[in-house]
Amino acid sequence: MAKENGKKDSRPLMNILHEMQERHGYISEHMLKQISVEQDIPIARLYGVVKFYTMFHTEPQGKYVIEICGSPSCVLSNGVRLEKFLENEIGAGIGETSKDGLFSLYKTSCIGCCDEAPAMLINGEPHTKMTVERLKLVLGKIREAEAAKPAGEKKK
Amino acid sequence: MQILRQTKLEALERARALGPDGVIALLGKRGLEGRGGASYPTAKKWKACRDFPSDERFVVCNADEGEPGTFKDKLIIRHNAETLVEGMLIAAYAVGAKRCFIYLRGEYDYLRPRLQEQADDVLARAKMEGVTIEIVRGAGAYICGEATALLQSIMGFRGNAMSKPPNPTTNGLWGKPTVINNVETLACAAQAVLFEDWDPTLRLFSISGNVKNPGVYEFPLGVKMSTIIDVARPEKKLKAMSFGCFGGIMPVDPGMAVTPETINMEKCQHGAYSIIFIDETNNVVDVAYSIAKFYTYESCGKCTPCREGTIRMLNLLKKVRTGHAVKKDLELLRELATHVQDTALCGLGQTCGNHILTSLQHFPKDYEAFMKK
Repeated sequence: MAKENGKKDSRPLMNILHEMQERHGYISEHMLKQISVEQDIPIARLYGVVKFYTMFHTEPQGKYVIEICGSPSCVLSNGVRLEKFLENEIGAGIGETSKDGLFSLYKTSCIGCCDEAPAMLINGEPHTKMTVERLKLVLGKIREAEAAKPAGEKKK
Repeated sequence: MQILRQTKLEALERARALGPDGVIALLGKRGLEGRGGASYPTAKKWKACRDFPSDERFVVCNADEGEPGTFKDKLIIRHNAETLVEGMLIAAYAVGAKRCFIYLRGEYDYLRPRLQEQADDVLARAKMEGVTIEIVRGAGAYICGEATALLQSIMGFRGNAMSKPPNPTTNGLWGKPTVINNVETLACAAQAVLFEDWDPTLRLFSISGNVKNPGVYEFPLGVKMSTIIDVARPEKKLKAMSFGCFGGIMPVDPGMAVTPETINMEKCQHGAYSIIFIDETNNVVDVAYSIAKFYTYESCGKCTPCREGTIRMLNLLKKVRTGHAVKKDLELLRELATHVQDTALCGLGQTCGNHILTSLQHFPKDYEAFMKK
Protein backbone atom coordinates (compact mmCIF):
# COMPACT_ATOMS: atom_id res chain seq x y z
CA MET A 1 0.00 0.00 0.00
CA ALA A 2 2.81 2.36 0.89
CA LYS A 3 4.40 1.79 -2.49
CA GLU A 4 1.10 2.31 -4.26
CA ASN A 5 0.71 5.73 -2.68
CA GLY A 6 4.25 6.92 -3.26
CA LYS A 7 6.06 8.99 -0.70
CA LYS A 8 3.65 11.10 1.25
CA ASP A 9 6.13 13.74 2.26
CA SER A 10 7.77 14.24 -1.10
CA ARG A 11 6.86 17.06 -3.46
CA PRO A 12 3.59 16.76 -5.36
CA LEU A 13 3.94 14.42 -8.33
CA MET A 14 2.12 16.95 -10.55
CA ASN A 15 4.88 19.49 -9.96
CA ILE A 16 7.62 16.94 -10.62
CA LEU A 17 5.98 15.99 -13.93
CA HIS A 18 5.53 19.63 -14.95
CA GLU A 19 9.17 20.41 -14.26
CA MET A 20 10.32 17.36 -16.17
CA GLN A 21 8.26 18.44 -19.16
CA GLU A 22 9.51 22.01 -18.95
CA ARG A 23 13.11 20.79 -19.12
CA HIS A 24 12.65 18.35 -21.99
CA GLY A 25 9.54 19.49 -23.84
CA TYR A 26 7.76 16.20 -23.16
CA ILE A 27 7.84 13.21 -20.82
CA SER A 28 9.50 10.16 -22.34
CA GLU A 29 9.38 6.56 -21.15
CA HIS A 30 12.96 6.94 -19.96
CA MET A 31 12.02 9.93 -17.80
CA LEU A 32 9.04 8.04 -16.39
CA LYS A 33 11.35 5.21 -15.37
CA GLN A 34 13.57 7.70 -13.62
CA ILE A 35 10.67 9.27 -11.71
CA SER A 36 9.34 5.81 -10.90
CA VAL A 37 12.59 4.87 -9.16
CA GLU A 38 13.07 8.21 -7.44
CA GLN A 39 9.52 8.49 -6.15
CA ASP A 40 8.87 4.79 -5.58
CA ILE A 41 5.75 4.79 -7.74
CA PRO A 42 4.96 1.93 -10.16
CA ILE A 43 5.60 3.01 -13.73
CA ALA A 44 2.17 1.80 -14.89
CA ARG A 45 0.52 4.19 -12.49
CA LEU A 46 2.79 7.03 -13.57
CA TYR A 47 1.92 6.42 -17.20
CA GLY A 48 -1.76 6.46 -16.29
CA VAL A 49 -1.34 9.80 -14.57
CA VAL A 50 0.58 11.38 -17.45
CA LYS A 51 -2.00 10.19 -19.97
CA PHE A 52 -4.91 11.48 -17.87
CA TYR A 53 -3.90 15.14 -17.91
CA THR A 54 -4.14 16.87 -21.26
CA MET A 55 -1.23 19.19 -20.56
CA PHE A 56 1.29 16.36 -20.24
CA HIS A 57 2.76 15.03 -23.46
CA THR A 58 4.49 11.72 -24.06
CA GLU A 59 5.64 12.72 -27.55
CA PRO A 60 7.97 15.58 -28.55
CA GLN A 61 6.07 18.83 -29.05
CA GLY A 62 6.55 21.87 -31.21
CA LYS A 63 8.63 24.65 -29.74
CA TYR A 64 5.47 26.72 -29.32
CA VAL A 65 2.39 24.95 -28.04
CA ILE A 66 -0.75 26.82 -29.03
CA GLU A 67 -3.96 26.02 -27.17
CA ILE A 68 -7.10 27.60 -28.57
CA CYS A 69 -10.00 28.01 -26.20
CA GLY A 70 -13.07 26.16 -27.44
CA SER A 71 -15.55 27.13 -24.75
CA PRO A 72 -18.87 28.95 -25.31
CA SER A 73 -17.68 32.54 -24.70
CA CYS A 74 -14.86 32.13 -27.21
CA VAL A 75 -17.10 30.30 -29.67
CA LEU A 76 -19.66 33.13 -29.44
CA SER A 77 -16.84 35.58 -30.16
CA ASN A 78 -15.98 33.85 -33.42
CA GLY A 79 -13.08 31.81 -32.08
CA VAL A 80 -13.79 29.14 -34.70
CA ARG A 81 -12.45 31.47 -37.39
CA LEU A 82 -9.08 31.63 -35.62
CA GLU A 83 -8.90 27.87 -35.45
CA LYS A 84 -9.35 27.52 -39.21
CA PHE A 85 -6.84 30.29 -39.84
CA LEU A 86 -4.23 28.72 -37.56
CA GLU A 87 -4.62 25.29 -39.11
CA ASN A 88 -3.95 26.76 -42.54
CA GLU A 89 -1.19 29.06 -41.40
CA ILE A 90 0.98 26.50 -39.61
CA GLY A 91 -0.07 23.56 -41.74
CA ALA A 92 -1.13 21.33 -38.87
CA GLY A 93 -4.52 20.30 -37.53
CA ILE A 94 -5.72 20.15 -33.94
CA GLY A 95 -3.50 17.74 -32.00
CA GLU A 96 -0.72 17.93 -34.59
CA THR A 97 2.72 19.52 -34.82
CA SER A 98 3.82 21.60 -37.80
CA LYS A 99 6.43 20.09 -40.14
CA ASP A 100 9.08 22.63 -39.14
CA GLY A 101 8.64 21.54 -35.52
CA LEU A 102 7.80 25.08 -34.48
CA PHE A 103 4.13 24.80 -33.52
CA SER A 104 1.84 22.26 -31.90
CA LEU A 105 -1.85 23.03 -32.02
CA TYR A 106 -4.43 22.03 -29.44
CA LYS A 107 -7.94 22.90 -28.50
CA THR A 108 -8.48 23.46 -24.81
CA SER A 109 -11.42 23.87 -22.47
CA CYS A 110 -12.02 27.28 -20.93
CA ILE A 111 -8.83 29.15 -20.01
CA GLY A 112 -10.66 31.76 -17.95
CA CYS A 113 -10.22 34.64 -20.39
CA CYS A 114 -13.91 34.82 -21.30
CA ASP A 115 -14.01 38.58 -20.73
CA GLU A 116 -11.30 38.98 -23.37
CA ALA A 117 -12.56 36.41 -25.86
CA PRO A 118 -11.53 34.90 -28.16
CA ALA A 119 -8.42 33.76 -26.36
CA MET A 120 -5.59 31.23 -26.55
CA LEU A 121 -2.51 30.17 -24.64
CA ILE A 122 0.86 30.15 -26.40
CA ASN A 123 3.37 28.27 -24.24
CA GLY A 124 1.14 29.00 -21.28
CA GLU A 125 0.94 32.75 -21.80
CA PRO A 126 -2.55 34.10 -22.49
CA HIS A 127 -3.20 35.93 -25.76
CA THR A 128 -6.57 37.61 -25.64
CA LYS A 129 -9.02 39.53 -27.86
CA MET A 130 -7.46 37.75 -30.79
CA THR A 131 -8.21 38.52 -34.40
CA VAL A 132 -6.72 37.05 -37.55
CA GLU A 133 -4.65 40.24 -37.90
CA ARG A 134 -3.27 40.04 -34.37
CA LEU A 135 -2.58 36.36 -34.75
CA LYS A 136 -0.58 37.08 -37.92
CA LEU A 137 1.51 39.57 -35.95
CA VAL A 138 2.16 37.13 -33.10
CA LEU A 139 3.12 34.27 -35.43
CA GLY A 140 5.27 36.66 -37.48
CA LYS A 141 7.18 37.72 -34.37
CA ILE A 142 7.78 34.13 -33.31
CA ARG A 143 9.06 33.18 -36.76
CA GLU A 144 11.29 36.26 -36.91
CA ALA A 145 12.79 35.50 -33.50
CA GLU A 146 13.41 31.89 -34.50
CA ALA A 147 15.01 32.85 -37.83
CA ALA A 148 17.35 35.26 -36.05
CA LYS A 149 18.70 32.54 -33.75
CA PRO A 150 22.00 30.88 -34.70
CA ALA A 151 21.55 27.49 -36.33
CA GLY A 152 22.66 25.53 -33.25
CA GLU A 153 19.97 27.00 -31.03
CA LYS A 154 17.08 26.40 -33.34
CA LYS A 155 16.70 22.74 -32.53
CA LYS A 156 15.23 22.10 -29.17
CA MET B 1 -15.48 45.88 -4.54
CA GLN B 2 -15.69 44.17 -1.18
CA ILE B 3 -13.61 41.23 -2.40
CA LEU B 4 -10.63 43.53 -3.01
CA ARG B 5 -10.49 44.81 0.58
CA GLN B 6 -7.17 43.84 2.11
CA THR B 7 -6.91 42.36 5.56
CA LYS B 8 -3.14 42.89 5.99
CA LEU B 9 -2.71 40.09 8.54
CA GLU B 10 -5.07 41.87 10.93
CA ALA B 11 -7.70 39.20 10.31
CA LEU B 12 -5.27 36.50 11.40
CA GLU B 13 -4.44 38.51 14.50
CA ARG B 14 -8.12 38.81 15.30
CA ALA B 15 -8.57 35.08 14.68
CA ARG B 16 -5.79 34.29 17.13
CA ALA B 17 -7.46 36.48 19.73
CA LEU B 18 -10.77 34.68 19.20
CA GLY B 19 -9.35 31.17 19.33
CA PRO B 20 -10.23 28.35 16.88
CA ASP B 21 -13.78 27.84 18.16
CA GLY B 22 -14.35 31.58 18.26
CA VAL B 23 -13.35 31.97 14.60
CA ILE B 24 -15.68 29.19 13.50
CA ALA B 25 -18.52 30.65 15.55
CA LEU B 26 -17.89 34.10 14.08
CA LEU B 27 -17.96 32.81 10.48
CA GLY B 28 -21.19 31.01 11.28
CA LYS B 29 -22.66 34.23 12.63
CA ARG B 30 -21.49 36.20 9.60
CA GLY B 31 -23.19 33.66 7.33
CA LEU B 32 -20.28 32.84 5.04
CA GLU B 33 -21.21 30.24 2.43
CA GLY B 34 -18.89 28.43 0.02
CA ARG B 35 -18.45 30.28 -3.25
CA GLY B 36 -17.40 27.35 -5.39
CA GLY B 37 -20.99 26.64 -6.34
CA ALA B 38 -22.43 24.42 -3.61
CA SER B 39 -23.01 27.22 -1.05
CA TYR B 40 -22.14 24.98 1.89
CA PRO B 41 -21.78 26.93 5.17
CA THR B 42 -18.04 27.41 5.71
CA ALA B 43 -18.27 27.33 9.52
CA LYS B 44 -19.99 23.95 9.39
CA LYS B 45 -17.28 22.53 7.13
CA TRP B 46 -14.45 23.81 9.32
CA LYS B 47 -16.12 22.53 12.47
CA ALA B 48 -16.63 19.04 11.01
CA CYS B 49 -12.94 18.93 10.09
CA ARG B 50 -11.81 20.22 13.48
CA ASP B 51 -14.06 17.87 15.44
CA PHE B 52 -13.03 14.70 13.60
CA PRO B 53 -10.37 12.91 15.64
CA SER B 54 -7.04 12.83 13.82
CA ASP B 55 -3.34 13.48 14.34
CA GLU B 56 -3.08 15.50 11.17
CA ARG B 57 -5.29 17.80 9.12
CA PHE B 58 -4.95 19.64 5.82
CA VAL B 59 -6.26 22.82 4.19
CA VAL B 60 -6.68 22.96 0.43
CA CYS B 61 -7.48 26.01 -1.64
CA ASN B 62 -9.35 25.00 -4.77
CA ALA B 63 -7.95 27.30 -7.45
CA ASP B 64 -8.92 24.95 -10.26
CA GLU B 65 -11.39 27.39 -11.71
CA GLY B 66 -12.32 25.38 -14.75
CA GLU B 67 -16.02 26.10 -15.21
CA PRO B 68 -16.35 27.74 -18.64
CA GLY B 69 -17.33 31.38 -18.31
CA THR B 70 -15.86 31.67 -14.81
CA PHE B 71 -12.87 33.91 -14.12
CA LYS B 72 -13.55 35.52 -10.74
CA ASP B 73 -10.88 33.53 -8.89
CA LYS B 74 -8.31 34.75 -11.38
CA LEU B 75 -9.21 38.31 -10.38
CA ILE B 76 -8.67 37.50 -6.70
CA ILE B 77 -5.37 35.70 -7.33
CA ARG B 78 -4.19 38.66 -9.37
CA HIS B 79 -5.36 41.48 -7.17
CA ASN B 80 -5.83 40.22 -3.63
CA ALA B 81 -3.75 37.08 -3.20
CA GLU B 82 -2.48 38.19 0.23
CA THR B 83 -6.00 38.13 1.63
CA LEU B 84 -6.60 34.72 0.06
CA VAL B 85 -3.43 33.34 1.69
CA GLU B 86 -4.43 34.90 4.99
CA GLY B 87 -7.80 33.16 4.70
CA MET B 88 -5.94 29.86 4.27
CA LEU B 89 -3.87 30.54 7.37
CA ILE B 90 -7.00 31.33 9.35
CA ALA B 91 -8.53 28.06 8.15
CA ALA B 92 -5.35 26.21 9.15
CA TYR B 93 -5.44 27.87 12.56
CA ALA B 94 -9.14 27.15 13.08
CA VAL B 95 -9.03 23.46 12.15
CA GLY B 96 -5.51 22.79 13.41
CA ALA B 97 -3.78 22.06 10.10
CA LYS B 98 -0.08 22.45 9.31
CA ARG B 99 0.21 21.59 5.66
CA CYS B 100 -1.75 23.72 3.19
CA PHE B 101 -2.07 23.31 -0.57
CA ILE B 102 -3.19 25.61 -3.34
CA TYR B 103 -4.32 23.56 -6.33
CA LEU B 104 -3.79 25.98 -9.19
CA ARG B 105 -5.14 25.01 -12.59
CA GLY B 106 -2.54 24.54 -15.32
CA GLU B 107 -4.19 27.19 -17.48
CA TYR B 108 -3.37 29.78 -14.80
CA ASP B 109 0.26 28.71 -14.48
CA TYR B 110 1.40 32.17 -15.54
CA LEU B 111 -0.03 33.47 -12.26
CA ARG B 112 1.99 30.98 -10.22
CA PRO B 113 5.37 32.71 -9.73
CA ARG B 114 3.78 35.82 -8.23
CA LEU B 115 1.29 33.82 -6.17
CA GLN B 116 4.17 31.75 -4.76
CA GLU B 117 6.05 34.92 -3.83
CA GLN B 118 3.02 36.40 -2.11
CA ALA B 119 2.24 33.16 -0.28
CA ASP B 120 5.83 32.92 0.97
CA ASP B 121 5.77 36.54 2.03
CA VAL B 122 2.50 36.31 3.98
CA LEU B 123 3.60 33.04 5.55
CA ALA B 124 6.88 34.59 6.72
CA ARG B 125 5.14 37.58 8.24
CA ALA B 126 2.37 35.50 9.84
CA LYS B 127 4.89 33.56 11.94
CA MET B 128 2.78 30.42 12.24
CA GLU B 129 5.00 27.65 13.41
CA GLY B 130 5.27 24.62 11.19
CA VAL B 131 2.66 25.79 8.68
CA THR B 132 3.57 25.38 5.00
CA ILE B 133 1.80 26.34 1.78
CA GLU B 134 2.55 24.42 -1.41
CA ILE B 135 1.19 25.21 -4.84
CA VAL B 136 0.20 22.07 -6.71
CA ARG B 137 0.12 22.57 -10.47
CA GLY B 138 -2.93 21.26 -12.28
CA ALA B 139 -2.55 20.05 -15.85
CA GLY B 140 -5.74 20.76 -17.73
CA ALA B 141 -8.36 18.49 -16.18
CA TYR B 142 -11.71 20.16 -15.48
CA ILE B 143 -12.77 17.29 -13.23
CA CYS B 144 -10.06 18.25 -10.73
CA GLY B 145 -12.26 21.14 -9.62
CA GLU B 146 -14.42 18.43 -8.03
CA ALA B 147 -13.23 17.95 -4.46
CA THR B 148 -12.50 14.22 -4.47
CA ALA B 149 -10.78 14.34 -7.87
CA LEU B 150 -8.73 17.31 -6.73
CA LEU B 151 -7.44 15.38 -3.73
CA GLN B 152 -6.54 12.44 -5.96
CA SER B 153 -4.54 14.81 -8.12
CA ILE B 154 -2.67 16.33 -5.16
CA MET B 155 -1.75 12.81 -4.01
CA GLY B 156 -0.35 12.07 -7.45
CA PHE B 157 -3.12 10.02 -9.01
CA ARG B 158 -5.35 10.37 -12.04
CA GLY B 159 -8.03 12.95 -11.29
CA ASN B 160 -10.86 10.47 -10.94
CA ALA B 161 -13.83 11.41 -8.78
CA MET B 162 -14.50 9.18 -5.79
CA SER B 163 -17.88 8.23 -4.40
CA LYS B 164 -19.04 10.06 -1.29
CA PRO B 165 -19.31 9.34 1.61
CA PRO B 166 -16.77 9.39 3.11
CA ASN B 167 -16.56 13.12 2.77
CA PRO B 168 -13.18 14.82 2.22
CA THR B 169 -13.86 16.99 5.27
CA THR B 170 -13.32 13.93 7.45
CA ASN B 171 -11.51 11.55 5.06
CA GLY B 172 -9.50 13.69 2.68
CA LEU B 173 -5.80 13.78 1.82
CA TRP B 174 -4.12 10.51 2.84
CA GLY B 175 -7.35 9.67 4.69
CA LYS B 176 -7.06 12.63 7.06
CA PRO B 177 -9.60 15.41 7.65
CA THR B 178 -9.20 18.07 4.95
CA VAL B 179 -10.87 21.42 4.44
CA ILE B 180 -11.30 22.28 0.77
CA ASN B 181 -12.42 25.81 0.03
CA ASN B 182 -12.71 27.86 -3.09
CA VAL B 183 -10.42 30.89 -3.64
CA GLU B 184 -13.27 33.35 -3.14
CA THR B 185 -14.46 31.58 0.03
CA LEU B 186 -11.03 31.80 1.66
CA ALA B 187 -10.56 35.47 0.77
CA CYS B 188 -14.06 36.13 2.14
CA ALA B 189 -13.24 34.20 5.32
CA ALA B 190 -10.39 36.60 6.12
CA GLN B 191 -12.59 39.60 5.36
CA ALA B 192 -15.54 38.24 7.34
CA VAL B 193 -13.33 37.72 10.39
CA LEU B 194 -11.96 41.25 10.31
CA PHE B 195 -14.64 43.59 8.97
CA GLU B 196 -17.73 44.27 11.08
CA ASP B 197 -19.53 45.63 8.00
CA TRP B 198 -18.73 42.61 5.82
CA ASP B 199 -21.74 41.89 3.60
CA PRO B 200 -22.56 38.18 3.14
CA THR B 201 -24.97 38.82 0.26
CA LEU B 202 -22.39 40.14 -2.21
CA ARG B 203 -21.41 37.71 -4.95
CA LEU B 204 -18.93 37.89 -7.79
CA PHE B 205 -20.52 37.52 -11.21
CA SER B 206 -18.39 36.53 -14.20
CA ILE B 207 -20.13 38.06 -17.21
CA SER B 208 -19.18 37.12 -20.76
CA GLY B 209 -20.65 36.26 -24.14
CA ASN B 210 -22.40 38.63 -26.54
CA VAL B 211 -21.95 41.81 -24.50
CA LYS B 212 -19.77 44.90 -24.82
CA ASN B 213 -18.62 45.01 -21.20
CA PRO B 214 -17.74 41.51 -20.09
CA GLY B 215 -15.88 41.16 -16.79
CA VAL B 216 -16.17 40.36 -13.10
CA TYR B 217 -18.82 42.37 -11.24
CA GLU B 218 -19.95 42.36 -7.65
CA PHE B 219 -23.71 42.37 -7.01
CA PRO B 220 -25.83 41.50 -4.00
CA LEU B 221 -28.06 38.44 -4.27
CA GLY B 222 -31.49 39.51 -5.46
CA VAL B 223 -30.08 42.01 -7.94
CA LYS B 224 -32.42 42.73 -10.84
CA MET B 225 -31.36 41.12 -14.10
CA SER B 226 -31.91 44.49 -15.79
CA THR B 227 -29.11 45.97 -13.63
CA ILE B 228 -26.73 43.27 -14.82
CA ILE B 229 -27.78 43.81 -18.43
CA ASP B 230 -27.25 47.56 -18.04
CA VAL B 231 -23.61 47.18 -17.03
CA ALA B 232 -22.93 44.32 -19.44
CA ARG B 233 -24.31 46.34 -22.40
CA PRO B 234 -25.39 43.84 -25.03
CA GLU B 235 -25.25 45.09 -28.63
CA LYS B 236 -28.26 43.11 -29.75
CA LYS B 237 -31.33 41.76 -28.04
CA LEU B 238 -30.39 39.02 -25.58
CA LYS B 239 -32.08 35.70 -26.00
CA ALA B 240 -30.55 33.36 -23.47
CA MET B 241 -28.00 32.99 -20.73
CA SER B 242 -25.96 30.00 -19.77
CA PHE B 243 -24.70 29.51 -16.22
CA GLY B 244 -21.22 28.32 -17.05
CA CYS B 245 -21.56 24.98 -18.78
CA PHE B 246 -23.10 22.94 -16.02
CA GLY B 247 -25.83 25.32 -14.83
CA GLY B 248 -28.16 25.16 -17.81
CA ILE B 249 -29.47 27.67 -20.33
CA MET B 250 -32.46 29.88 -19.63
CA PRO B 251 -34.21 32.90 -21.16
CA VAL B 252 -33.13 36.40 -20.12
CA ASP B 253 -35.86 38.09 -18.12
CA PRO B 254 -34.88 41.68 -17.20
CA GLY B 255 -37.45 41.74 -14.39
CA MET B 256 -36.05 38.70 -12.63
CA ALA B 257 -34.37 39.07 -9.24
CA VAL B 258 -31.24 36.91 -9.33
CA THR B 259 -31.26 34.48 -6.42
CA PRO B 260 -30.57 30.74 -6.23
CA GLU B 261 -34.33 30.17 -5.88
CA THR B 262 -35.38 32.11 -8.99
CA ILE B 263 -32.67 30.38 -11.02
CA ASN B 264 -33.69 26.96 -9.72
CA MET B 265 -37.27 27.69 -10.72
CA GLU B 266 -36.11 27.62 -14.35
CA LYS B 267 -34.38 24.28 -13.66
CA CYS B 268 -30.98 25.98 -13.79
CA GLN B 269 -28.20 26.12 -11.20
CA HIS B 270 -26.40 29.30 -10.19
CA GLY B 271 -23.01 27.70 -9.45
CA ALA B 272 -20.40 30.42 -9.18
CA TYR B 273 -22.64 32.97 -10.91
CA SER B 274 -20.92 32.85 -14.28
CA ILE B 275 -23.31 34.13 -16.90
CA ILE B 276 -22.62 33.67 -20.59
CA PHE B 277 -25.06 35.89 -22.51
CA ILE B 278 -26.30 34.70 -25.88
CA ASP B 279 -27.97 37.16 -28.24
CA GLU B 280 -30.72 36.61 -30.79
CA THR B 281 -28.30 36.13 -33.69
CA ASN B 282 -27.20 32.83 -32.19
CA ASN B 283 -28.99 29.52 -32.04
CA VAL B 284 -29.03 28.00 -28.56
CA VAL B 285 -28.44 24.54 -30.05
CA ASP B 286 -25.01 25.70 -31.25
CA VAL B 287 -24.11 26.74 -27.71
CA ALA B 288 -25.48 23.45 -26.32
CA TYR B 289 -23.32 21.67 -28.90
CA SER B 290 -20.15 23.42 -27.77
CA ILE B 291 -21.04 22.58 -24.16
CA ALA B 292 -21.64 18.94 -25.08
CA LYS B 293 -18.22 18.85 -26.77
CA PHE B 294 -16.73 20.21 -23.57
CA TYR B 295 -18.24 17.42 -21.47
CA THR B 296 -17.19 14.70 -23.89
CA TYR B 297 -13.67 16.01 -23.61
CA GLU B 298 -13.65 16.49 -19.85
CA SER B 299 -15.47 13.40 -18.58
CA CYS B 300 -12.90 11.52 -16.49
CA GLY B 301 -14.09 8.20 -17.88
CA LYS B 302 -14.51 6.44 -14.57
CA CYS B 303 -18.27 5.83 -14.53
CA THR B 304 -20.10 4.49 -17.55
CA PRO B 305 -23.16 6.80 -17.69
CA CYS B 306 -20.98 9.90 -18.01
CA ARG B 307 -18.23 8.42 -20.21
CA GLU B 308 -20.68 6.95 -22.72
CA GLY B 309 -23.59 9.32 -22.20
CA THR B 310 -21.66 12.49 -22.99
CA ILE B 311 -20.57 11.00 -26.34
CA ARG B 312 -24.09 9.85 -27.23
CA MET B 313 -25.54 13.25 -26.34
CA LEU B 314 -22.95 14.97 -28.50
CA ASN B 315 -23.73 12.64 -31.41
CA LEU B 316 -27.45 13.33 -31.09
CA LEU B 317 -26.81 17.08 -31.09
CA LYS B 318 -24.63 16.61 -34.15
CA LYS B 319 -27.55 14.86 -35.79
CA VAL B 320 -29.81 17.78 -34.88
CA ARG B 321 -27.41 20.37 -36.25
CA THR B 322 -26.92 18.59 -39.54
CA GLY B 323 -30.67 18.46 -40.06
CA HIS B 324 -31.00 14.69 -39.79
CA ALA B 325 -32.93 14.53 -36.53
CA VAL B 326 -36.60 13.75 -36.14
CA LYS B 327 -38.83 14.41 -33.16
CA LYS B 328 -38.06 11.01 -31.68
CA ASP B 329 -34.39 11.96 -31.43
CA LEU B 330 -35.22 14.89 -29.18
CA GLU B 331 -37.17 12.55 -26.94
CA LEU B 332 -34.16 10.24 -26.82
CA LEU B 333 -31.89 13.18 -26.06
CA ARG B 334 -34.06 14.21 -23.15
CA GLU B 335 -34.28 10.67 -21.84
CA LEU B 336 -30.54 10.15 -22.15
CA ALA B 337 -29.68 13.43 -20.38
CA THR B 338 -32.04 12.60 -17.52
CA HIS B 339 -30.66 9.08 -17.24
CA VAL B 340 -27.02 10.22 -17.13
CA GLN B 341 -27.80 12.85 -14.51
CA ASP B 342 -29.58 10.30 -12.34
CA THR B 343 -26.90 7.65 -12.46
CA ALA B 344 -23.50 9.39 -12.76
CA LEU B 345 -21.04 9.30 -9.91
CA CYS B 346 -19.95 12.87 -9.36
CA GLY B 347 -21.01 16.47 -9.83
CA LEU B 348 -19.74 16.60 -13.39
CA GLY B 349 -21.85 13.68 -14.56
CA GLN B 350 -24.85 14.74 -12.55
CA THR B 351 -24.97 18.10 -14.29
CA CYS B 352 -23.67 17.24 -17.77
CA GLY B 353 -27.17 17.06 -19.21
CA ASN B 354 -28.41 20.34 -17.73
CA HIS B 355 -27.71 22.38 -20.86
CA ILE B 356 -29.68 19.89 -22.96
CA LEU B 357 -32.67 19.56 -20.63
CA THR B 358 -32.99 23.30 -20.07
CA SER B 359 -32.46 24.28 -23.69
CA LEU B 360 -35.04 21.70 -24.79
CA GLN B 361 -37.45 23.12 -22.24
CA HIS B 362 -36.89 26.82 -22.88
CA PHE B 363 -35.88 26.97 -26.54
CA PRO B 364 -37.80 24.30 -28.48
CA LYS B 365 -37.95 26.64 -31.49
CA ASP B 366 -34.16 26.65 -31.80
CA TYR B 367 -34.25 22.87 -32.10
CA GLU B 368 -37.18 22.98 -34.53
CA ALA B 369 -35.21 25.28 -36.81
CA PHE B 370 -32.84 22.36 -37.43
CA MET B 371 -35.41 19.58 -37.66
CA LYS B 372 -36.00 17.43 -40.69
CA LYS B 373 -39.02 18.82 -42.46
